[in-house]
Amino acid sequence: MAINYQNKKICFHKDLGKDWHREFEDLIIKKDERAIELDCGECKLNCYDIDYIKTLCIDKNIEIISLVSQNIKTIISASSLGLNTTLRLNKNINKNTAELAYSYKDIHNDKSTKFHKGTLRAGEVLETNNDLLVVGDVNPGAKVIAGGNIMIWGRLLGIAHAGSKGNTSASITALQLRPVQLRIAKKVARGPKEKPEEGFTEEALIEDDIIVIKPARTTK
Amino acid sequence: MTSDTRVILICSGKGGVGKTTLTANLGISLARKGSPTAVLDADFGLRNLDLLLGLENRIVYTAQEVLEETCRLDQALVKHKQEPNLSLLPAGNPRMLDWLKPEDMKKIVGMLSEQFQYVLIDCPAGVEDGFRNAVAASKEAIIVTNPEVSAVRDADRVIGLLNTNDIKPVQLVLNRVRPKMMESQEMLSIDDVTDILALPLLGLVLEDEQVIVSTNRGEPLTLIGSQSPAARCYSNIAGRLQGEEIPLIDPSQEGNGLGDKFRRLMQTKIF
Ligand SMILES: Nc1ncnc2c1ncn2[C@@H]1O[C@H](COP(=O)(O)OP(=O)(O)OP(=O)(O)O)[C@@H](O)[C@H]1O
Ligand SMILES: [Mg+2]
Repeated sequence: MAINYQNKKICFHKDLGKDWHREFEDLIIKKDERAIELDCGECKLNCYDIDYIKTLCIDKNIEIISLVSQNIKTIISASSLGLNTTLRLNKNINKNTAELAYSYKDIHNDKSTKFHKGTLRAGEVLETNNDLLVVGDVNPGAKVIAGGNIMIWGRLLGIAHAGSKGNTSASITALQLRPVQLRIAKKVARGPKEKPEEGFTEEALIEDDIIVIKPARTTK
Repeated sequence: MTSDTRVILICSGKGGVGKTTLTANLGISLARKGSPTAVLDADFGLRNLDLLLGLENRIVYTAQEVLEETCRLDQALVKHKQEPNLSLLPAGNPRMLDWLKPEDMKKIVGMLSEQFQYVLIDCPAGVEDGFRNAVAASKEAIIVTNPEVSAVRDADRVIGLLNTNDIKPVQLVLNRVRPKMMESQEMLSIDDVTDILALPLLGLVLEDEQVIVSTNRGEPLTLIGSQSPAARCYSNIAGRLQGEEIPLIDPSQEGNGLGDKFRRLMQTKIF
């Protein structure tokens, strides 16, 4: 048995095996609950897996109250599909999960601009597939990555990667652009050595195949 | 006292920036100002708070025996002879790291909070288990850093972790400030540091040979009533921590006064 029912929760066990989809279906039909909680333990479930679970539950008119997991990937998959999630930290097994959970501030995956308020400090990583807006500084040692454009209402002192999925027309804008390193799509540039003049918002973009920094445009 | 006890974590990220020295001197200063103060060594791997306070030879029991309930808290506490308002709770042996949990640390700090007004926790370097345990038991924090890029970077990382753990307030102490080097821009300036870390500056501590001398003797500068630059800095920090309004020293004015020159001369003769 890879899946069973314990303490009013549907629990997934470590070695899920290939047949878990059917097992899961059998179980929720047999239990006949209107609302369930999922405990995914250490199982690594991707978006397809979670989507399968979610669709099945919607079909059967069952509400998923919440999903608990020790695996950060599962948590990210589930929360990106709109489930209510809790990351449970297990000291012995996942020493680094706390670290991960802390670094991966972005777990939502929708199409809208990702918005972050507050300073990103050394070691913090903020990642999104879409445009990214940070209101605050990106400190040395912190990193921001976006599939689209990056806009920083503050100072960029760390590393920024715009167009991370290959979009060469993406740009990076900041009130003060003094990064350690800039990347747009596959191009890499080191930050400017000299301090920029205060008070000019600057933008980095690809022109003639290299990354250039110029005063920010107000229209696109 | 329990609820208004101030449990302050003294941490840095990078090692060797002056956490233990600050803990010892702050402990003495606060105690001297009349507040019952406990200093707790959370650096089980490389403990040396006992050494700095000159209490190494008086340790019988440690936090370990208290947790194992083989002794009472007051048996493990080492009271400072010259400054009886100050007590040290020594760290257990390094193997304690294997089993110590955040709850254990909370328990110890909870017990200390019943007797003391200040509990200062000397945190180990790094951001691993030892740090996490100490964070779990703390309410507020002092970040110690040096005017060096690597120390500031690590401090920034730690501040991020403290923020996610709801530690408030977090204040900054900039240690080993050398006015001359700052002036000639060979060292990060105070503004460079506070600009990145964006924390209220609790105080500066000047680079001072006397710190090393006192460390070797096991007598914190604040204990012997030294008038050396670092000693003044430490007691200013203690004062500010208690809410006194004490202006920051201006490093560019340090060491220029006649008094300073005279003191330097005296010190070179004596030591
Ligand atoms: N203001 C100062 N002036 C001169 N020397 C100093 C000063 N502050 C600290 N030191 C010296 O720096 C060294 C490291 O200090 P300390 O042990 O307090 O650092 P720490 O942060 O506790 O280190 P660890 O991370 O190893 O626990 C000691 O030799 C100490 O004497
Ligand atoms: Mg130390």
